[in-house]
Amino acid sequence: MEHKFEKEQRWEDLAGEYQTMLYRIAFSNMKNRADAEDVVQEAFLRYMKDEKPIQNKEHEKAWLIRTTIHICMDILKSSWHRKTVALDEASAAQAKNVWLPYQSKDDSTLEAVLQLPVHYRNPIWLFYYEDYSIQEIAVVLNEKEGTVKTRLRRGREEIRKILCRNC
Amino acid sequence: MSIQEVGHKAKESIREYPHKSIQKHTEGFQESLMQNLKNREQEGMPSESVKAKRECTCAETVSVSGKEQTVETRTESRVNVGVTGNAARIRISGLMNQEAVQTVEVRHMSYEESDNIEIAVTEGYTLKGKREGNQVYVEAKYEDGRLEAYRVDPAKVQEQTRQRIEQFALETAESI
Repeated sequence: MEHKFEKEQRWEDLAGEYQTMLYRIAFSNMKNRADAEDVVQEAFLRYMKDEKPIQNKEHEKAWLIRTTIHICMDILKSSWHRKTVALDEASAAQAKNVWLPYQSKDDSTLEAVLQLPVHYRNPIWLFYYEDYSIQEIAVVLNEKEGTVKTRLRRGREEIRKILCRNC
Repeated sequence: MSIQEVGHKAKESIREYPHKSIQKHTEGFQESLMQNLKNREQEGMPSESVKAKRECTCAETVSVSGKEQTVETRTESRVNVGVTGNAARIRISGLMNQEAVQTVEVRHMSYEESDNIEIAVTEGYTLKGKREGNQVYVEAKYEDGRLEAYRVDPAKVQEQTRQRIEQFALETAESI
């Protein structure tokens, strides 16, 4: 009984620590609140279910981020989602649904980031909005550091194009 | 044939081609080179040969009892920081006043700990600032992965400064 209580307490702590960050990552991929919340729940459920040996806090965080992104990719690739995705375009109002740990001065850039293709969006989101280093992003996304750098640069160029198109 | 005659013939051969003006061409090149160098100096962009650290000695003319004297008033040491390899467009700081800005060790400060944050996705960098007494700790992260940290004394920063790090430190000091 005590063991169960300890476990529940641990899940609560885990959710409290990572919930907001994982929600932001999920939202940047799913572009709507309901789907993002579902993804975060699914990521926590997989973590609980798998009971994988976690080496340290950083490993735990990286595992949760990677799993969240994978769940997002799975949903985005699904035929059901492809049929309904047209209704869920990212808008300025939706961009404001992302609760950043600071005041964002530029909503137009945030909106442009949400419009990026997924292979640019995730590195850019993690680098700029979650303050991850290139090495950490390479581990989380299972890519080489050089690939992450290239995607950051090309993603930035894409954002400039999007902003130019909109202005 | 003497040497003088050869020289004379050579002059004549030039006269035969009045449109050929080698000297003029060289002068034009020199002019454009000098102009480019002047432009660079005006823009405050150091030429490639300039080392990272340089001394700028400023001289001021002071009038003393009707006579003009040139007096060296201050020696300002400047540090070239924030230059990102070959990606010139994300160069944010350029030359900064070393009296106001000091390079310090990176602490890996999080967004939550920071008092002021600037996310410049289109420029390829992020800035985090924290007030620490009369000074401001600024951490810069660049798209190429470099991390740099500075300790800035806002009191010594000129209000008209064009350096982003200095401007950001002023913003951080003013933000409550």
